[in-house]
Amino acid sequence: MKDKHIIDILEKGPWASLTESEVRTITAHTEICAACRSAFEAARVSTLLVKERAAETMEPSPFFQTRVLAALRERQAKNNLPVFARLWKSAGMLVSSMALTTAALAAFTFLAPAAGTGTSQNTVTDLSPYSAEAVVFNQDQSDEQLTDDQVLTAIYADNEVK
Amino acid sequence: MFHVAHRFFRQRSLVEDAAQEVFLKAFTQLGSYEGRGSMEGWLTRIATNICLNILRASKRRPELTTADLTEDQDRWLDEKLSSAAGELHHSAENKMVAADLADRLLETLSPEDRLALTLIDGEDASVSEVAEMTGWSESKVKVRAFRARKKAREAMEKLLGRMGH
Repeated sequence: MKDKHIIDILEKGPWASLTESEVRTITAHTEICAACRSAFEAARVSTLLVKERAAETMEPSPFFQTRVLAALRERQAKNNLPVFARLWKSAGMLVSSMALTTAALAAFTFLAPAAGTGTSQNTVTDLSPYSAEAVVFNQDQSDEQLTDDQVLTAIYADNEVK
Repeated sequence: MFHVAHRFFRQRSLVEDAAQEVFLKAFTQLGSYEGRGSMEGWLTRIATNICLNILRASKRRPELTTADLTEDQDRWLDEKLSSAAGELHHSAENKMVAADLADRLLETLSPEDRLALTLIDGEDASVSEVAEMTGWSESKVKVRAFRARKKAREAMEKLLGRMGH
C-alpha cells in the first residue's frame, strides 16, 4: 500500500472526508515518494486557501437597500412607458435612418435632373457661335446679323465634321 | 443574496452589482415562482446563475505565477508549508492575505469548477445541496468538484515548484 501513489485519494473528495486509514496511507507514502509529497503539500495548501476564502464574510453597505429600491423604481418606470414610447426606444434608430434615406433619395430625384439640364445648356453655349446647333438654339441671333462668309464657314465646318 | 454573490466576487462593488441584479430579476420573475421549493432556494439559484453568467462573460483565467504574488502572499505560503498542521489563520491580516491568494487560485478555474470547489471543499456543502443550488445533476457536481480539486492542486504545485519548494 505504501508504494501506491496517493494522488487519486487526494482528489476523490474533500480533505475533511478522508478516513483515518487514508490519512495513514498518505502519510506513509509521502515519506518515500517525492512526487506525491509535493502533490500532497499543494493539495493541503490549496484546500486551506479555499477554506479561508469561504470563511471570509462581507456585509452589505448601509446604502445597498436604497440603491436596490432606486434601481427597482427605475426599471418599473421604464416598463410603465406607453407602448409607442417603448417602441420608439427600441426602433427609433431604425425609423430615423429610414427617414434619412428617404429624404436623401428624394433630394437626388428632384435636384439631379435640374443639374443635368444646366450642363446640356452649357454645352450648347460652348459651341461655336456660328455652328448649326448654335444658330438653331440661339433664338436671339437672327439671320440678318450673319454675313454670307459666316454662314458658309459654319456649313462647311459641319460638313467636314460629318 | 449578498453571501451568494460574495462566493464569486471579493470586490464590494462587484458583489453589490451582482446582488442588485439578483433582486431585480427575482422581482420581475416573481410570477414564475411556483412555490414548490423554498423561496430561499429559488433566490439562491437565481443568484448562482447570475453570478456564473457574469463570471463567464469576463472570460478571465490568468495563470497563477510567482511574479504576481505579493510579499505577504509569499510569506503566507512559506509559513503554511513549514507548519505541519493545516489550521486556519486567526489574525485578520493573515486571513486577508489568504483570501486574496485563494481568489487568485480560484481565478484559474472555470466559473463552474470554482463554484463546486468553493461549496464542497470550502463550505462543506454536500453534493446534493450543491445540485439543488445550481440545478446540476449530482454526477455533474462530483465531476466538477473532482476536476476543480485537481486543477487547483496542479496550479498550486506549479507555483510552489517555481518558488523552490
